[in-house]
Amino acid sequence: MMHTSRIVAALLLALAGLAVLPALAQAPPPGPGAPPPRPRAFVDWPGGDLGALRTEVPFIEFVADLEAADVEVAVRPQASPDGERFSVAFTGLKRFQGDDNAIAFVPAPGARPEDVRSGLVGTIKLGLLRYAAKTPVARDLSVRFLDQAKPTAVDDPWNSWIFSLSGNAFLMGETQYRSGSYFASVSANRVRPELKIQTSVYYNQNDTWFDFGDGTFYDSSTHGFGASALVVKSLGEHWSAGGYAEAESSTYSNLDLGFTIAPAVEYNLFPYSESTKRQFRILYRLGYTYARYIEETIYFKTSENLLQEALSCAYEVVRPWGNVTVRLEGSHYFHDFSKNRLELGTELDIRIWRGLSFEIDAEYARIHDQLSLPAGGASYEEILLRQKQLATGYDYQLSVGFNFSFGSTRSNVVNPRFGNGGRSISIHM
Amino acid sequence: MRRSTGSAPGPVPVSLLIISLLVAAGPLSARQGQTGVDELKKTALKVFLDCDDCDTEYIKTEITFVNYVRDRLEAQVHILITTQSTGGGGVEYTLTFIGQNEFKEAKDIQRYYSSKTDTDDDVRRGLVKALQLGLMGFVARTPIAGRIAVDYAPPDRAAEGRDRWNSWLFSLSGQGMFSGEESYAERMIDLSVSANRVTEASKVRLGLSAERATQDFELEDGPITGTTSGWSATGLYVWSLGEHWSAGASAEVEASTYSNTDLAASIAPAVEYNFFPYSQSTRRQLRALYTLSVKAVRYIEETIYGKTEETLFEEELSLTLDLREKFGTVSLSAEGSNYLHDFSKYRIDLFSILNLRLYKGFSVYCFGGYSWVHDQLSLIAREPTYEEILLRLRELPMVDNYFVAVGFQFQFGSIFTNVINPRFGTSGSGGLSINIR
Repeated sequence: MMHTSRIVAALLLALAGLAVLPALAQAPPPGPGAPPPRPRAFVDWPGGDLGALRTEVPFIEFVADLEAADVEVAVRPQASPDGERFSVAFTGLKRFQGDDNAIAFVPAPGARPEDVRSGLVGTIKLGLLRYAAKTPVARDLSVRFLDQAKPTAVDDPWNSWIFSLSGNAFLMGETQYRSGSYFASVSANRVRPELKIQTSVYYNQNDTWFDFGDGTFYDSSTHGFGASALVVKSLGEHWSAGGYAEAESSTYSNLDLGFTIAPAVEYNLFPYSESTKRQFRILYRLGYTYARYIEETIYFKTSENLLQEALSCAYEVVRPWGNVTVRLEGSHYFHDFSKNRLELGTELDIRIWRGLSFEIDAEYARIHDQLSLPAGGASYEEILLRQKQLATGYDYQLSVGFNFSFGSTRSNVVNPRFGNGGRSISIHM
Repeated sequence: MRRSTGSAPGPVPVSLLIISLLVAAGPLSARQGQTGVDELKKTALKVFLDCDDCDTEYIKTEITFVNYVRDRLEAQVHILITTQSTGGGGVEYTLTFIGQNEFKEAKDIQRYYSSKTDTDDDVRRGLVKALQLGLMGFVARTPIAGRIAVDYAPPDRAAEGRDRWNSWLFSLSGQGMFSGEESYAERMIDLSVSANRVTEASKVRLGLSAERATQDFELEDGPITGTTSGWSATGLYVWSLGEHWSAGASAEVEASTYSNTDLAASIAPAVEYNFFPYSQSTRRQLRALYTLSVKAVRYIEETIYGKTEETLFEEELSLTLDLREKFGTVSLSAEGSNYLHDFSKYRIDLFSILNLRLYKGFSVYCFGGYSWVHDQLSLIAREPTYEEILLRLRELPMVDNYFVAVGFQFQFGSIFTNVINPRFGTSGSGGLSINIR
């Protein structure tokens, strides 16, 4: 006992020692106080308009001496059967060593000499941006597209249809435990500004196996499959109308076959074009469902026809101070208004002050519409492994987190030694 | 035109001087406008954006002077974005612009650094700017270049102060997760504190964390509660010894009910060799790490070997390969360890991530691990209960364990993915999503 505690004490001391060490080992890094020098370019353009370059490209310092330059720009006319063309060659020097680029400039047919010159100035400007982007000057630069081009202005023989097939398996196990999950789908989507079509067919399965070590085993399998389709027509910047069609079968939900068709309309308080910044969508959905159950339900049904309406609101905003999402959804069945459900969900990720940020992810549901619960209930193992839907009046999930950081939060040093813990890989299917 | 740099907190003072420049003279007239622009858009640069953590919808909304394609082979520029964490707790984004097809000879690398205190919106705006500036070298080769303006607004700023924290970054974070329904509830809480100092020459990481998880089931014959908890204090120091070598040591104190550990303390010196230079680490690494550790441990319950405490010496060798290329991601690692008092007490872990774009529209992934386990010294002597097994509250004896995820995707049809249509929400079609950090 004494032995272990002594080692622990020694180690804690060593940890403290590690903290002091670097302070002794290193002088503070020099503070960057100097103003940001603009990158220097030497332009070799016989007969060129260097005066226009100086006023049009203010983020570059043009020098008369190649020795002083960070970039050399050489403009050369090229003989071409189709008319005049120029090559503009950028050669990186000093800190930009090896950073080269060559751009061909072809003036419009019949362009006047001054148009050719200003076109060349423009080409040189855009070509020099990649060098300026690697210096502190980048902070003061921005790029704008002067027009609004239609995203669909492309030559596309498939007329925006994208088809996709995917198959996935996830297996894990150890000596006394094994599980497997499988998912496969086929989808066909066509996303256009005026019409969105998403369709898919899927199958999933989950298997679990336990060995209790005393010669007894437990194994189980759940599966589901289905098909879904969504069609949405755009009606201006605020309105949309469309419908869902779904067919599904699921052992978890005691559903042998469920078929749903649901027309819906949506109103967005903000224009849809601002959707990556903010949206407040209100969706009304009226659904008809035919359901056939695997086991008789607690309401003594083996199949039924249901009519349901649902209203949902979703508010999403992404701003420099953080992100907020709030969702509220209510629904009920028409044959019995007491069979209803209310769901509230919110996600907040907010920077309160400098390095202090909060994250809340909450979901609450009041549930009075579990029409498909099997009369037979669930086994002890099905309960513990959460393989069957259980009777409940509510269900909630709350995750609250905070992070407070201070110190050298602007340090850009990357040190990958002994692993960084910072490489991220993600696979989306 | 020379101004001082600095990142004054708060909004950057609005420009004193904005110079806005048009490459071509004058805007297109309104009538010839839209069809002219649409014609230009047809010849615009074809871009394949290869980024796992980007807000691609935002990028596509903000940068509209290029065409986005879903397959890398169709693109004129493949933009490969790789990330690494920085000493300041932010992320270094390396944007590698790889010219293809007509622009085969062109290439460029741009970098963008986010800070730990940046919000999602700060990061996506910063990344869009780095993308825009980097794209210009390619866009300048297409006719749409004539419709791009560049604004230069050097602000009046105070000089940036020196770093008074001497590269130290402190972080405190906590998380609570609660979920449940009438007959079931689950609670999970964790707290952590860390102090890190990362420079080119050395790396220090100190951390303290604690967690506790509880599951409650309401059953007909009474309630069942399962709890696991643990805490740990860790420290790591690494010296840089040139482009290929590093040396360091780690120390750890921990406790865990799952592993039957009342208290364990270890110290472990280590050396590492990287076959690629460390400066290429965002794209490729092949690292070999050898660790020798000594650990004193006291168990909660007597182990199957009849011990309540012991001191153990262990050695470990690991090999890690990480590649991020145009054709996809390869990450492989192999790790072997054994105790020095008894060489038959060993384990071997293999781990792989492969995500490959094999052919036009066709990609596969395989993600898996396999372990041979012969070193479970802390297993409890008694039989675990039925509930401990089902709720996975206790480490169980095993000789091996594995997990594997494999999948493929085949896409065909339109190559363009320019359109963003948020109506009725953007729904994923289910499926599998795996994130590794």
